[in-house]
Amino acid sequence: MTGDIVEAAKFIGAGLAMIGALGGGIGIGMSVHGAMNGMARNPDAYGNLLTNMILGIAFSEAIAIYCLVVAFVMLFVS
Amino acid sequence: MESKRKWRWGVHRWIVLLLIILGAVGVSYYAPVQPHIQAAAEKLTEKPWFSLPVIGDFYPVNTFTSMLLTMVIIIGVAYTVKRTLAKGEMVPRGITGVMELAVEALYNMTEGTTGAKWAKKIFPWFATILLVVLVANLIKLLPGYETIGILHHSEHGYEVQQLTSGIATVVNTKAHEGEGYVLTPFFRAQATDLNFTLSLALISIFMVQVIGFQAQGPRYLEKFFNFRTLFSKPIFGFMDVIVGLLELISEFAKIISFTFRLFGNMFAGFVLMAVIGVLIPTFAPAVVMLFELFIGLIQAYVFGMLTMVFMAQATQGHGGGEEHAAAH
Repeated sequence: MTGDIVEAAKFIGAGLAMIGALGGGIGIGMSVHGAMNGMARNPDAYGNLLTNMILGIAFSEAIAIYCLVVAFVMLFVS
Repeated sequence: MESKRKWRWGVHRWIVLLLIILGAVGVSYYAPVQPHIQAAAEKLTEKPWFSLPVIGDFYPVNTFTSMLLTMVIIIGVAYTVKRTLAKGEMVPRGITGVMELAVEALYNMTEGTTGAKWAKKIFPWFATILLVVLVANLIKLLPGYETIGILHHSEHGYEVQQLTSGIATVVNTKAHEGEGYVLTPFFRAQATDLNFTLSLALISIFMVQVIGFQAQGPRYLEKFFNFRTLFSKPIFGFMDVIVGLLELISEFAKIISFTFRLFGNMFAGFVLMAVIGVLIPTFAPAVVMLFELFIGLIQAYVFGMLTMVFMAQATQGHGGGEEHAAAH
């Protein structure tokens, strides 16, 4: 019984930890928004903007990935 | 010569279709098994290699073997390039041409960020880290990676089926308690081991400090311990001290963010592949694999790029105050 409660708490905790991915999603959306605006206004800067956009996405994604790591640690590290 | 080359798309299409059908048929015989997922690298042997007094036991883990494979690949590429260059051909072909293109593009990028003076010093670190992480991430493409290994007894294992003498496969039926086996693969992507990412992050941040000292000498420390303006400016001097301390903390935060960015991305990909492989065994894993390759590329680029940018920042110093004073 106690083991079951611990198991359930693990899953709930992992789910709660993933709420943090919200921030990563907003960040990625905002950086793509900015880059798309820039590309629409100045199509010549496409390549440069794309590289920097992907860099920025990687950064904001990293924040969401930390949440994922916490969730994985709860689930798989015993 | 060029015009004789046939458009081979018509053949490749059927090969891909054949592979998809083969995959579907194969899955119905040997359904994929959800691998045993653990964050630490799996040990290949029960007995430790050697033990150190304080640190503990050292096991031959499966990320270590794939690190050796990565090194062999990189050294092989380097040797091939060197041999081709020694022949003195003006137009390099094959892998040499690709490497020349890559090195030139990376060097130009470094020069654009750091300036011509420091590019020679910073470029080797940037390119080495990028190449190592890139090969380590793309090496997952090899067949048999994370799927061929040793069977181990486990509490929550699966039943095995003997194929020929000495070779067995895990089948997708739960064994009785304490009788099952799990697979410990020979090779596992290195970036799913925290030791690999942490050591790369430590090397990177340590060399950032070294390059900072080489560029500015002892004045580099002023970035962290800024007491010069403490008494000359009433409130802002105190603020400068606190900002310096924050810089010091952020240097450690950089190590942690380097470590967990790479580890998290690659480990998430590993788990995603395992889960998708069990849920939708046909065709879907290929799409996820493609996405994982993209992520691996991006992470290698980001790791190298960030190292380069931090090194470039360290060479410049913050010294806004003096320049500002000189301008007036």
